Parts: sequence; structure tokens; C-alpha cells
Amino acid sequence: MNYEIVCGIETHIELATKTKIFCGCTTEFGGEPNTHCCPVCTGQPGSLPILNQKVVEYAIKAGLALNCKINTKSHMDRKNYVYPDLPKAYQISQYDEPLCEKGYIELDSGKRIGITRIHIEEDAGKLIHESGLTYIDYNRSGVPLIEIVSEPDISSAEEAKEYAEKLQLIMRYIGISDCKMQEGSMRCDVNLSLRKPGDPRFGVRTEIKNINSLSFIQKAVMAEAERQADILDAGGTVVQQTMRYDEGTNSVTPMRDKENSDDYRYFPDPDILRFCVDDKKVEEIRESLPELPFDKLKRYMNVLGLSEATAKQIFRYRMVAEFFEDTLAEGASVKNTANLIVVTIFSNMDTEEEKELFAIRISAAQFAALVKLADEKKINIGVAQSTLQKMLESGKPVEEFIKPEDLVGISDEALESLCKEAIDANPEAAANVRNGKDKAINVMFGYIMKKTGGKADIRKAEVLLRKLIRQ
Amino acid sequence: MRAGIYELAIRLRNREISAVELTKAYIDAIEKLNPAINAYVYLTFDTALKAAEQADQMLKEGDAPLLCGIPMALKDNICTDGIATTCCSKILKDFKPYYDAAVWEKLKAQGAVLLGKTNMDEFAMGSTSETSCYGAPLNPRNTNYVTGGSSGGSAAAVCANLAVYSLGSDTGGSIRQPASFCGVVGLKPTYGAVSRYGLIAYGSSLDQIGPLANSVKDAAIVFDAIKGGDKRDQTSVDYDYGSSLAECLDRDIKGMRIGVAEEFFEGINTEIKSKIEKAIKLFENNGAVIENIRLPALKLALPVYYIIACAEASSNLGRYDGIRYGYRTSSYTGIEDMIVRTRSEGFGDEVKRRIMLGTYVLSSGYYDAYYKKACLIREEINREFDAVFENCDVLVAPTAPNTAFPLNHKGDSPVEMYLSDICTVPVNIAGVPAISVPCGEDSRGLPIGMQIIGRRFGEATVLQAAHFYEQSAGKVIGDYEGGAGI
Amino acid sequence: MFVSSGDLTAAAVRKGVRIMAISKTEIEKLAKLAKLSFTDEELERFTAEFDEIIAFADTVNQSIEGGTEQIRSVDARMVSFDDLRPDEVVPSLPNDKILSNVEGYNGFFKVERSKK
Ligand SMILES: [Mg+2]
Ligand SMILES: [Zn+2]
Repeated sequence: MNYEIVCGIETHIELATKTKIFCGCTTEFGGEPNTHCCPVCTGQPGSLPILNQKVVEYAIKAGLALNCKINTKSHMDRKNYVYPDLPKAYQISQYDEPLCEKGYIELDSGKRIGITRIHIEEDAGKLIHESGLTYIDYNRSGVPLIEIVSEPDISSAEEAKEYAEKLQLIMRYIGISDCKMQEGSMRCDVNLSLRKPGDPRFGVRTEIKNINSLSFIQKAVMAEAERQADILDAGGTVVQQTMRYDEGTNSVTPMRDKENSDDYRYFPDPDILRFCVDDKKVEEIRESLPELPFDKLKRYMNVLGLSEATAKQIFRYRMVAEFFEDTLAEGASVKNTANLIVVTIFSNMDTEEEKELFAIRISAAQFAALVKLADEKKINIGVAQSTLQKMLESGKPVEEFIKPEDLVGISDEALESLCKEAIDANPEAAANVRNGKDKAINVMFGYIMKKTGGKADIRKAEVLLRKLIRQ
Repeated sequence: MRAGIYELAIRLRNREISAVELTKAYIDAIEKLNPAINAYVYLTFDTALKAAEQADQMLKEGDAPLLCGIPMALKDNICTDGIATTCCSKILKDFKPYYDAAVWEKLKAQGAVLLGKTNMDEFAMGSTSETSCYGAPLNPRNTNYVTGGSSGGSAAAVCANLAVYSLGSDTGGSIRQPASFCGVVGLKPTYGAVSRYGLIAYGSSLDQIGPLANSVKDAAIVFDAIKGGDKRDQTSVDYDYGSSLAECLDRDIKGMRIGVAEEFFEGINTEIKSKIEKAIKLFENNGAVIENIRLPALKLALPVYYIIACAEASSNLGRYDGIRYGYRTSSYTGIEDMIVRTRSEGFGDEVKRRIMLGTYVLSSGYYDAYYKKACLIREEINREFDAVFENCDVLVAPTAPNTAFPLNHKGDSPVEMYLSDICTVPVNIAGVPAISVPCGEDSRGLPIGMQIIGRRFGEATVLQAAHFYEQSAGKVIGDYEGGAGI
Repeated sequence: MFVSSGDLTAAAVRKGVRIMAISKTEIEKLAKLAKLSFTDEELERFTAEFDEIIAFADTVNQSIEGGTEQIRSVDARMVSFDDLRPDEVVPSLPNDKILSNVEGYNGFFKVERSKK
């Protein structure tokens, strides 16, 4: 039997603010347990929350980048449930007045996956279970999150992965989160049900919680779709429940019931005033957004004329794209700049992480100085690559490796005199060339390359040599 | 008449008495009387004496604030760094906060001398202070009767002269009603006028800290000292009251428009009714204009209050799970079981009742019928108050429908007890300020309180009217004999 | 949404017709949500009391029609974006303060998963 996948994804993203959402404690990762804490984030009796402005700003950035409508009026609600990692026994979140609503992400196919809403909320603390004891660390308690809820528009495992990948890229680009799935700063919950093609009704859905890598999203969707199909094929019914994806066995299994029922008794938090963000502010935030990744990709291909493959390699990483564009701004050529980044700089970076960080020891201006030498044919591309490698290793500018006199040595006049020298030094070879033994020209090439340390433009030299020999 | 804050401040400045001597006099009185009255549940004599020494130093240096060196008390739900703060609940047994409430921070900086923490209904839920895990405080005027609640210990301490003034909190009448039962003055300020930071929450949208004192002037001085916006409480407001409130009490009330709403007088004990009517006559005879007004939505104020307060309480009290502070049960089979046992053993009946009601009105299927409708009616009540204050400067009403109950008075049901808050809760719902001043005694000699209600941030007018009444009405209740004798 | 304030009073007076009595099972469900447990005897007493409290609260339910509207008031206080807290780090409290009301372990809060 064939089924249609109906899938929606809820994504929690940790915002890269300096302080927590309701207190001034640092959000810095790590730290000794319970050292990034205060009365507010440990739920001390009598403490009160004060909303962080940056959290609202970042959530609006996310909303604008995902084509959402921004609610200029918004408020915080309490979501009540008791669990040891939640010190107030309620999570301050947003229920019926989220900051952003009704956006979308466009897939490569042109299909749009709707974004239902984006709201802000606080993270919980961390529990460690060990030999009959539970240890609790509230350092993460109160770290700001946005929750991005998609419409159930996703209909394949590939689409699920693409959606999450694009979301991650956009969030990283606008600088509101590092979105590291392994470290938990981006976590996905997948809702999935099956239905017969053409059936307007939804089937019973399950929720797979806390998936922590992009490829697992794809695998989990496949595994769960298969599991549900097997049940339906056998005439059974799917039970609505919370599931867990096990990467080891590539299977989806029901999670131990988290005791709580799902009656969260949401109500507006009386400690936090409703807040408004006027249109002017929203516009200000919109203007502060960088060019979004997929707009950039299009521009790289259509305006800059990069190949799709090269453009995709550069646009993926915000820091790389910035470096690329800064180099162009210094007057370097598109082709050589892109080429040197993709071939030479990337060869020094093994992981995605390194490309993401793009910690290199030279500035765009220094890089441009090198590229321009290649652009002006003062050095050939091979020399540019090897020089760049030396620059990257030492952090030193191009002048350290290519002296002005080196460049003078291969100016047009210098090259011409070098060619004459080569002919004078190899009269036999010159005669052979004159007599039609074309290969003999290689002797002169060898002479010139040796003298210039490989810096001469060999095609120019060939033209000159032939001219001189004919004279 | 015992000395008020102002008189004591003068004596301290004239070196007629030192802050240490004054404090010792109160300590002696507390040691003598508190075992019988049970106004204090935690005493801080050592720190009080140290604070008094510092106060004497401040006084010597000159330019000390009015409250410097004056011994006082705090309700047990106001956080004090390193000093037990238990809300008179077993679940917060031995709890010592590691930070000060904003009000205590302010008073401490002004040289206040804290004698101890006062008794109250568990988590401020009650009207008699009998739900305290330490047993009820007794009404100093007649120890067979309750103090009222929930700030019963704060009222009793002031009444028995075991503190010059105290702070209480008022969610549905918890400052004004015990003030009326004990024959002292109690001010519930405008919601937001005083920071709630460090006040252990009951109903967050209703809770407000305020003073209990022996005179309107004392209440004004204390309110002056604790009011003001606070960055740590977003619901607080830095309202500009102009000059010191204590200094503008003597303004004339001629032409003041005083509203009287019949809804406040329905079902009120006749003795109380006649005393309030007499007070209204006094205002009228002195040039005030009496306006008969209507507040129809008031009839629903009581259930609206219980729905909203309990909804918020059910959420606010979820955090008492035995993990980070307070009581933890001794044996259990799992963490969930630990939490359930801790809460079931740690909370008293009234608190459980209100948590359950709050859970109910917020639960799915009932939210619209109860919580949401209560919020809508709250809006209606606000609108009615707004409209009334277009034409009136203050409203006058009884503080409570009855005088103090006998101890262990078992009503027919919890609801009957809830009815005693009928005159005070509308004020919390609307977030407006109100004061209770003594205005007579019933046939058993128990004090009766009159409530004067103002518009939002209209404390100056409320205090002015109350002060006028207090000064003109003469001796309306008997003096309390005993206490510190200063 | 409101019938009118005059009718409000009338509605309040009309109270008495109770919509629902609460069952013991429902009380148990609420207790589970509230993380409370009651003995059988307590449960009996509580159910009876609760019935009356709910009846009291019901006057609110019956006083107005509707109740599905937004509950935000038009003139409720609001705060503007500019008045929200700036994202500036304030030193946290030392660990021994945070743990001052319990017995911790190596800086952690600690709970035995069961205890006899
Ligand atoms: Mg969430
Ligand atoms: Zn904190």
C-alpha cells in the first residue's frame, strides 16, 4: 500500500544572546554546575522575570528571515508542568500571541514549507542520572530559545532534511544562533502521520522528540513512515504518542511517558507586561539583516557568474561569503578569488565546523593583494596558490614572499630580455626551432622558468621567443 | 497615646533615647507578650541590636532618614537575606533566602531595625491567620478572637506595641482586614506602587506590600519610604507623588467628593454599617460632598477574585517540590513520588484547596468558563471603578462585613469564610489603593474598620481623607494597654 | 460580549443553577496535575467542599455570555521594545549561595531517586 507522508517540524534554537531571557546571568556554555545562576533562573520564591530585549530582537530577525508577519503586540504565557529541570514548575513561553506568524521556507524544488509561528521561551536546566541519584545543574535554565513550528507541509524524508538544513543555514546567517545540533543549540521534533493519497483527512500522528543531526532527521522520518505503514498495512491503528529515534538501530520507539499529562494550563504571565514593537523598530531590524543566503546564492550565480558548484561552496558559510565579498571589494577578480578560496583555503579546513568558523590568519585586503597579482598576470595561478598557502601558515602578507624585484623580473621588458638571454645561451636550440624542430623551444622555457623561479608567464614568453627567434 | 514614628524620630534626634534603648524596650515587650500573642514567628534580636547600633551612628552623623532606628517587623513572606522566611508553611521550613526583598533593602538602607518576622496565614491564604503552621496569632484586644488575616501577625504586633510599624501584603484584603480587626491602620497601595521583588507570590496580579501602623501619618511615612519603581519588578511603576505624602496630610477636605456605593453595604453587620454611616456624616459635616454611586459588577468581585488569585497561586506554588529549598519528604519511591509527597505533607488544607481550585479553573475545558470569564469581569470592574473616579475623589466603605471572629470559628464551609473578604477584594481586582482606619467598636469591644478607596496612585488623597477622619473623629476605639510602653 | 452591567447584577442574582458537580475522578485528575495526593477520607471531604467552591465560582461562568474572546484588556499597561532589559551580563551568585538551602553535591542539586 502507498501512503503520503504528512510531516511538520518543531525546531528549538538557542539564541546567541549574552544573558539569559529573564535575568542577567551569562549564557556562556560550560562553567561549573550552578555557577551561572541567580534567584530568577533558579526559581527562588519572590524572584521576578525581566525580559531581555535582545531575545525579542533576535526572534524578530528570525521571523523576518523566514518571511513571517511580525506581531507588534505580544505577551508571555506560563506553561505549567512539574519536572525537576524546570525550577518554577512553569516554562515562560508564548501561547496565543507569538512574536512571529505565517512565514515559509522555499525548497530547491520551489515548494514552500509554511512556518506556522515563531515564539520565544526559556530553556530548562540539565539533569544527570547516575547510580540512583539525579544531579541538577541550572546553568542552562533560562537560556533563551525560539521555537519555530512548521506547517505539516513536508511530504518526504528528503524534504524534511532540506527544510532543517535551510533553516539552520538561515539562522546561522542572520547571526542569532550557532545552531549546533550535536551540542543541542538546535533541536528538532518531528510530527508525522500517513494518509492515503488524495485523502483530505490526517492520520494519527506521532512525535519524534529531540533529533540531533540533520541526517538523523531524514533517517527518522523514513523509519517512522515505514513503521506506521507496517501498522496500517496490517490493519492496525497508529497510537498517538511521543517517540524517540535511536541512531544505533535506526529505529523509532515510544518514549517512556513523561508522567505529565499534556494539560499545560497556559495563562498570561502576570509578572511580565505585554510588550509592543512598533513598525519602525521592525523596519530597523529588517534593515539590520544581512543579505539572506539564498538571495546571495542567486546573485553569485546570476550576477557574479560563478558556477553553481563554486557558488554553493562559498555561500554556505557566512564568514566565507563575507571574506569573499570583502576581497572583491578590494578589487580582486571574482574568478581567481573564488578559485583560491575553494581550492587553497578550503584544503586547510577539513570540517564543516572549521569552514563555519573560518578562522584564517590573513585579512581580505591581504588576500586581495595576492589575487590581484594573479589577476594582472604578474604571477601565475600555481604561484598564487603556493604563496597563499605560505601566507595562511604564517599570517604574513604577500610582500613577504614575493619581492617587488621578483615582479620587476618578469615585467614585459624583463621577460623580453630574459628571452633574449635564453636564446643567446642556447644557440643550438634556437637554431633547431628556426629549422622547424618546435619542441626545442622547451629548452628556452626551462631556462626562463629556472631564472624566474617559475614566476614567468609562459605563454607570453612563448610569443616573445618565437618573435625573437624569427628575427 | 503612644508615640508615633515622627515623635520617636524627634526623641532619637534629641538623644532622649537611643535606638539601642528603644530596640531593647521592644525586645523586652516581645519577650513578655509574644508567647501569648504569637505575633512573631521568628525573632531577630541580635541583628536588631546591631542595626540599632548602626542607626545610632547614623543619627549621630546627622541627616538620618525618618525611619532610622525605629523598630519594626516584616510579614513572613517578605524575603530577608539569611533570615528565615517561611510564609508560615511547613513546606518552607527553615528556608533562608539569599537575597533581600526590594522593600527590605530600602528600609535597611534607611536604618530600620528589624525585630522579627510576623505570623500569617500559610502563603497568605486565609482571613484569620489560623492557617499558619505556627498556630494562629491572637488578637491583642481580646485573645479569644482572631487577628484577621492574612497579615494577622503584622497587625497584632503593631496593635500590641511589639513593633512601631510593620509591613504586610494584601492580595484580597490581607493588610486592611487584620488592621480593622486589631484596630490599627493598614494601607494597601496601588498595584505597582511598591516593588514586589522578594515578596513570595500568592496571586501575582493582586499582591501588594503595604504598611500597618498606629496612625495614618505613620502609614504615610512608611509608604513614602518603600514606594517607587524597581527594575527587578516590571509591574512596578515609578510614579511621581510629588513631595512627601506624610507632609500633605493636613490639607482640607472641603469639597472632597466622597462616593458611597450601596453594593459595599449589602449584608454588612448593622453595627458596622451604622459606624461607617456616622463617619460619612462627619465628612459631610466638614464640607465633603457625598455622592451616591453604583458599582454593579462588584457582586461578582468575590468569585472573580478567588478564580484569579487561585489560578495564579496554583502556578506560583508549583515550585515547592522539595528540590531546591524547603521541606523534602523522608521516604519515596521515585522523584515524582517525592514531589507529590513533599507537597502533600508540606502544604496545609487551605493552600491545597486553593491550588486545586486554581488548577481546575485553568484546566482544559474549564479555562474559558472560569479563568477567562473572570478576567473579562475584572475588566468590567476596572471600568466601573474608572467611571466612579471621574466623579469621586475617594470611596468610603466598610473594611469587612464583620468584626473579628472567635478563634477556631468554623464556618459552615470554606465559602462562608471567603465571604468575609467581600469589601476588600474589589480593590485588589482594580489595583487601586485603599486604607483601613479604625472607626469604632462593636458591642463586644472589637474594633471596626472603615475603608477609604482612591483612584490609581491616589494615595495622597486616600491618606489625606483618612488622616482627616482620624484627627476629627476623636477617640473611636480604646487604647491597647501594654507592649513596649514608649 | 457583556450582556450589560445591569444584567450582570441580574445574572449574579440568578445564580443557583449549577452547571456541574465535580466527580471524585475529576478531583483525582486535578490532584495529579497539581502534584498533590489525598487520602480517601480527605478526598471525600474535599470533593464535597470543592463542589461548593465550584458552585461559587460558577456565578462567574453564568454571569456573562461568551468568554471566548481575547482576555487582554485594551488599556492594560504595555512596555515598549526600548524599555526591555538590555542584554548586559550581571554577575551570577556564587554556587554556595545557590545551594544554601539544600545539601548539594559537587555544586549540583541532588535528589535520591528513591529513599526508604
Ligand atoms: Mg517549546
Ligand atoms: Zn539568573
